Amino acid sequence: MKVSPGLLAGATAAGFAGVLALHTMAALGPPGRNGGVMPATSASPAAGAGAARPPRPGAARLPGVGGPLRTATGTSVQFAYGTLAVRVTVRGRRITNVTVASLQTLEPTSQMISDQAIPVLRSEVLAAQSANVQGVSGASYTTSAYVQSVQAALDALHIR
Amino acid sequence: MRCTSADRGRPALTRAEPVMGTVVSFLVPDGAGRPDDVSAVLGTACTELHRIDAIFTTWDGASPLSLLRRGEAALADMPPEVAEVLSLCRAARRASGGWFDPWAMPGGVDPTGLVKGWAVERAAKLLHQAGVAAAMVNGGGDLTVFGSPGLGQPHWRIGIRHPWRPDALAAVLLATGAVATSAGYERGCHLIYPGTTAPSSRAASATVTGPSLAVADALATALAVGGDEALAAIGEVEGYAGYLIRPDGTEASTPGIVFG
Repeated sequence: MKVSPGLLAGATAAGFAGVLALHTMAALGPPGRNGGVMPATSASPAAGAGAARPPRPGAARLPGVGGPLRTATGTSVQFAYGTLAVRVTVRGRRITNVTVASLQTLEPTSQMISDQAIPVLRSEVLAAQSANVQGVSGASYTTSAYVQSVQAALDALHIR
Repeated sequence: MRCTSADRGRPALTRAEPVMGTVVSFLVPDGAGRPDDVSAVLGTACTELHRIDAIFTTWDGASPLSLLRRGEAALADMPPEVAEVLSLCRAARRASGGWFDPWAMPGGVDPTGLVKGWAVERAAKLLHQAGVAAAMVNGGGDLTVFGSPGLGQPHWRIGIRHPWRPDALAAVLLATGAVATSAGYERGCHLIYPGTTAPSSRAASATVTGPSLAVADALATALAVGGDEALAAIGEVEGYAGYLIRPDGTEASTPGIVFG
């Protein structure tokens, strides 16, 4: 298997550690307990002031397995190339979407790295729910910031 | 990060602490052995991580380790942790068959390949001593676990990041202690042959498991540099096991690796 420079660049920026650790705990947890609408009013003080958002009224009425869609924005986290915050949407205990709520990078190169890394991280978060693991060995910078923000958002949604 | 009373006793407690140039994350599963003051315990562990970081950072030219590296201070002037770490480095150098060698680095002795694991292990020990029955502490991908992850499982399931596909795992290992992975994909090619400045090309990903994360971290560095030769050496170290992904994508592991 050959490594293309493009792949390596993506992988460098998109190191991957705790991502799996946090939402697989969510995926593994007992279903139903947090399935209902909970006001997302608390975020992790340790991770900073997570900007919790109340569930969107429209989305909350959507039918579906595991309850209504709920969304929260994670803490804005500094990493080697800038600052980012992510927005996480869940249905029941399952993460249905992760988007970038804010991203400030230090320079154009950082923007480029982030542009490569973030779609990968997003797919990791979504894919991780099917991987039955508690942690991941092997990591790097961007991941950690992304994970931290995702974690804060999940804390706000009372999903661990 | 204390749980609210409504959900106390249910979810795993987590904390992520930016320190040592990475983020150290804590995960404490729910269970009988989770003291009420676990948040305070995590705080103590984080304080200790920052204290260790201040001693060993090579980014701060005024840190004790930086002074030692430049020959501006003697080992006797160092905090006792420095001698402890260097002693572990010597043991790891022997165990690795010389593939881990902090004294062969350009710029003076550099125990970086062991310090992070050592610090994370120390944080985990603090948790354990404070009465936490089970936890995972993950220092940017080098992690250690103790106790049960929950639901009566004896092992923690730990994914090994795929070296070329960030959306995939290369393997899942069952762990009861430390899991450290070194690879060229993170932070550029920081793995260098002892005595040279050439990056290693013998491993795409190198994982070592064992009781001590300090030792596993160092041996993972050795495995990433030395490839199959280092794997043979690690196979001889009691309690430790190695899992190597070669640059061509083929894999090898020693008998102690338990795939999940």
